[in-house]
Amino acid sequence: MNRPFQRRESIIFFAFALLLVVILPLASSIGWISPFKLNTWGKYLSYAILAIAVDLLWGYTGLLSLGQALFFSLGGYMMGMYLMLMIGKLGQYKSNLPDFLVFLGHSELPAIWKPFYSFPFALLMVVLIPGILAFIFGYLAFRSRIKGVYFSILTQALTYGAALMFFRNDLNMGGNNGFTDFRFILGADIRSDGTKRTLFIVTAIVLLGVYAGCRWLTTTKFGLIQRAVRDSENRVLFSGYAAANYKLFVFVLCAIIASIGGSLFVTQVGIINPSEMTTQKSLEAVVWVAVGGRGTLIGPVLGAIGVNSLQSWATRAMPDYWLLFLGAGFTLAVLFMPKGLVGLPLQLRNAFVKYKSRSTAEQDATPIPAAAVTIKPTPSPSSSPSAE
Amino acid sequence: MLLRNTFTCALIVLGLASLLRSSALAADGPAPSEATVRAAVVEALTKQESAEQVAALRKIPVDAGPIAAELLTLWKEGGIYLHEDDEGKITPVTLTGEKDADGKQAALLLLDKSPFKDGEGKPILIDPAEVSGAETDSNIRRAMKDLTDMAALSNPDLKIRLRAVSDVGLELNQEKLPALLERQKVETHPEVKKALEQSIALTQLKSPDDAERIKACTTLGNIGSIPSQDALKTLAAEATKEGKKEVAAAATAALEKIASHVKVVNTAGTMFRGLSTGSILLVVAIGLAITFGLMGVINMAHGELLVVGAYTTYVVQCIFGAGLTLAPFSQSSLTFTIPGMHATGATFSVYFLVALPCSFLMAALVGIALERGIIRFLYKRPLESLLATWGVSIVMQQLLRLVFGPQNVALESPAWLSGSWVVNDIAFNWNRLFVIGFAVIIIVLTWAVLNKTPLGLLIRSVMQNRDMAACMGVRTERVNMLTFGFGSGLAGLAGAFISQIDNVGPYTGQNYIVDSFMTVVVGGVGNMIGTVISALGIGVVDQSLQQILGNPVLGKILVLGTIILFLQWRPQGIFVTRSRSLES
Amino acid sequence: MSQKPFLLAAEGLNKSFSGFKAITDLSFYLDEGELRTVIGPNGAGKTTFLDLITGRTKPDTGTLQFEGSHDLLHKNEYEIYRLGIGRKFQTPTVYTDHTVFENLLLSLGGSRSVWKSLFYRLKSEDKDRIESILKTINLTDRAHWKAGALAHGQKQWLEIGMLLAQNAKLLLVDEPAAGMTDEETHRTGELLLSLAGKHTIVVIEHDMTFVRQISKDRRVTVLHQGSVLCEGSVDFVQSNERVIEVYLGRKSKAA
Repeated sequence: MNRPFQRRESIIFFAFALLLVVILPLASSIGWISPFKLNTWGKYLSYAILAIAVDLLWGYTGLLSLGQALFFSLGGYMMGMYLMLMIGKLGQYKSNLPDFLVFLGHSELPAIWKPFYSFPFALLMVVLIPGILAFIFGYLAFRSRIKGVYFSILTQALTYGAALMFFRNDLNMGGNNGFTDFRFILGADIRSDGTKRTLFIVTAIVLLGVYAGCRWLTTTKFGLIQRAVRDSENRVLFSGYAAANYKLFVFVLCAIIASIGGSLFVTQVGIINPSEMTTQKSLEAVVWVAVGGRGTLIGPVLGAIGVNSLQSWATRAMPDYWLLFLGAGFTLAVLFMPKGLVGLPLQLRNAFVKYKSRSTAEQDATPIPAAAVTIKPTPSPSSSPSAE
Repeated sequence: MLLRNTFTCALIVLGLASLLRSSALAADGPAPSEATVRAAVVEALTKQESAEQVAALRKIPVDAGPIAAELLTLWKEGGIYLHEDDEGKITPVTLTGEKDADGKQAALLLLDKSPFKDGEGKPILIDPAEVSGAETDSNIRRAMKDLTDMAALSNPDLKIRLRAVSDVGLELNQEKLPALLERQKVETHPEVKKALEQSIALTQLKSPDDAERIKACTTLGNIGSIPSQDALKTLAAEATKEGKKEVAAAATAALEKIASHVKVVNTAGTMFRGLSTGSILLVVAIGLAITFGLMGVINMAHGELLVVGAYTTYVVQCIFGAGLTLAPFSQSSLTFTIPGMHATGATFSVYFLVALPCSFLMAALVGIALERGIIRFLYKRPLESLLATWGVSIVMQQLLRLVFGPQNVALESPAWLSGSWVVNDIAFNWNRLFVIGFAVIIIVLTWAVLNKTPLGLLIRSVMQNRDMAACMGVRTERVNMLTFGFGSGLAGLAGAFISQIDNVGPYTGQNYIVDSFMTVVVGGVGNMIGTVISALGIGVVDQSLQQILGNPVLGKILVLGTIILFLQWRPQGIFVTRSRSLES
Repeated sequence: MSQKPFLLAAEGLNKSFSGFKAITDLSFYLDEGELRTVIGPNGAGKTTFLDLITGRTKPDTGTLQFEGSHDLLHKNEYEIYRLGIGRKFQTPTVYTDHTVFENLLLSLGGSRSVWKSLFYRLKSEDKDRIESILKTINLTDRAHWKAGALAHGQKQWLEIGMLLAQNAKLLLVDEPAAGMTDEETHRTGELLLSLAGKHTIVVIEHDMTFVRQISKDRRVTVLHQGSVLCEGSVDFVQSNERVIEVYLGRKSKAA
């Protein structure tokens, strides 16, 4: 097992923390960075939290969940319920009820809405609702040993079914318009620059916390078992571990992480609706992870921020062609960059070594056993022959 | 005013009675000639008072045939003009030809369609603005409707006659009973006969004679008459109130019988709709059953292969029709036009038969390119093949959007797909029957290819034991390519089929992908018969839930839940993997 | 029959895969402390038999008792493992992306709960145990190599080492010598012999030299078409006419 934080990594981590929590907000408050930009980056940071959740499942445990967008949106909806109630009488209909409920002919707040006047309750639900859903679904799926692509397909179905449900008006969750037009959070004007800056800082802190927590998790014996499940689930069973319990733990944990990301997303973007709750969105998060580098924790963060920055530029610069590039780029990344950007230097080095040894082999005309070339034992966990 | 109305009503009743008598007589004798009918209508038109006109209308025989309906419609719509000469003589005419400089037109006599002339044989020209048109009021229109309704009872057109018979029954009008009974004597068509029986019984529910009412109840119960339920309920309530227990009991018994009949009809209808929904699933999933089920490739672009087939059908349709102009990538410099054959009618409607093989080929080619370009590198990495093909699906959606535009394209479904075939109150819609038929054909085709062709033999051998097949000299790479091509082609066929029943746009494929995967997973991967059973099963469950819940979305959500629970019960059927090493 | 219950008692086992009868009315008894070798031609049902014992597949009919009191039929893989039954697979199955050390660590006895795994700290006695196993399987200098980078024979040993770490009562060893050089094979045999007595061992093997090495004076069971053909000392078995006919005979024909 490797130690939680190596010295160099700690320095980088704290440098990042300083940048995100202190420098960027300061720069924004003195006007070097526009509040809009900071807000956009805050959105990317909440995406990064989602990406970590996807990676902890996919990169570390081998579970490609297409339901992470569902959990992300659920977190958003839970926070959104609180924010909707905080609008108070400032809505179009000047009612205490959220506008869409008035529009649907409600005169009284539905019972499930009432506790959401409390912010702590909303936070609790951000954790509990996706957690419970993930627990039930995960329990059923892992118990019957649904794995690999079947797991992906089932999570896809789960997401699809949930989106269908949220599109319905009689769920009293705003139908296809969802929630928007928020005004206040904890008494502060959610649209003011100061609040936006605070939300950015909160998101950054949560991201750093999630990162550090996952970093710790992956270095424990649990982390070893997690990766063992990914590489050889049957062997794990024959080593006496109830693999299903380990998977369930990770699945629930990742649902909660995604949900927290979603709740932060909503406060900064100001809207949540069922179109966030699709397989497509889950797969987009998978793209960030794949491009950044799965099986590492920094990869998803870089991927989420990088791909989204690129996307916001490209959708303006070439709206018609952006998706072509995204799709093609992603396919190529999957084919040729299995370890993503983070793994690229090593991949290039290996390729270079291979190329060099081949050319020397040709010069010497002495066949070198394949093993001598391809197998490069290193103690570091990040370089490895690809695991099937 | 009130007095006048009462008078009119009385007149109508009288008129009706005479009308029914005359119809009863008319049923025996030959149908009245066109001249007689015209004369009768003209006579009605020349009357001054509305009540007189109604009375005159009542004299027109009900078996007057289509000419009566035609004239009355003309009247109602203001197409008849009443020319009044100096002596006050009124002549009903219709106008014809072009307007002259003064805005006048030539006229034809309504009586015999001859040109309208004055005493000297000079044609009289009429200015429609100056001459008053024949008018109607509610009484006249009602008399007209009665007349056309009754006339329709003997209309030679089966559909019109059937409608008329059913409609008259629902009026529960005692006075129309004799006409129905008369018609029953001469009617030969079984469907109309059944409708007559129902209408007569319905009308008899209002009979003053209790025995007749009870008999009517029994009849309605026996034929399981769905439309009579309201009338029977009213009767049951009334009879209970009046203390006529036997009538009430008869009505209740009839209602029970009808209810059980309705149940049968609904169940059969649900089963039928379930079968057709299942057939749609089956058709869209069968390609996936090959690429995913047999080969284990997760092709997220499967939906887009469907769409390729659908667009191919669209292009073929355009070639048969008016042609197609495309400006791909929103570049007008790239604009090109595919000329059309401007085919119409029967020639045009065969376009679908031509489109089928084209769709298959197009999708198969795209599939083969996909297999050669991407999937073959990922056979051992299913999760990666899922992701890579998702990237491909985005690219394909975007390409289709850039070539064909973001809007749905308009495909004309053949006329024969609308309408239905009703057996014993169960409606079999033609398009649903088409769906089922298509599914059967595709299944037979797939089965035949897999089991009766050399290609099928190769496919099965490679899928069962790749290494062994390779040792036996099978070129497994080539077989993979062809298998994937075949599965993709089937997706293309499904696309051609989808184009006939759904909108076709760049993103249409997304609507089918979840369903397709579910179908294959539930059926058991690698098991074609499983796919068939699961598709039909999901279809029936889906439609049953819709029927019970009365809500398609809720039904769909429940189906997804049911599938997840189903996999709890039978995961083994799906995940059978055995080998000597642990991970295979 | 001794008073002590059999360590493993299989009675009337049947298992067929879509029509193919892999195991037919198989009965098999094993005493504690035995080193039993199971031989048989391909398709005799040897590996399937191990699958049944370890809960990988369930028999159609029959009973499987462990230590007289545990019914293996109603337990899954990890529950059976926790009873003290370890298995080495025919194709070496190790965690290729983990180091040799980590492989052994994961196989060490102790709690298997999720919670404990989160707060596990490597104790010195665990470390000593792993190091002694590394010495036994001759992989001390490879401790921090990725297991995937090991040579085939080394992987086989690592997997045996994982069995040792588990400290199982019953070791099921499927073709341990496959893919090894003669010298490695011989050492594997010695390793197994040194374990005999401390553990109960079932070895499945094809290599008759190896079988002779480890089963001196010990019982050998011959499987054929899913049931026991004969049982006895290696000499007895090798001189049995039916065995020669179905197994050795076929082998000589093939050669």
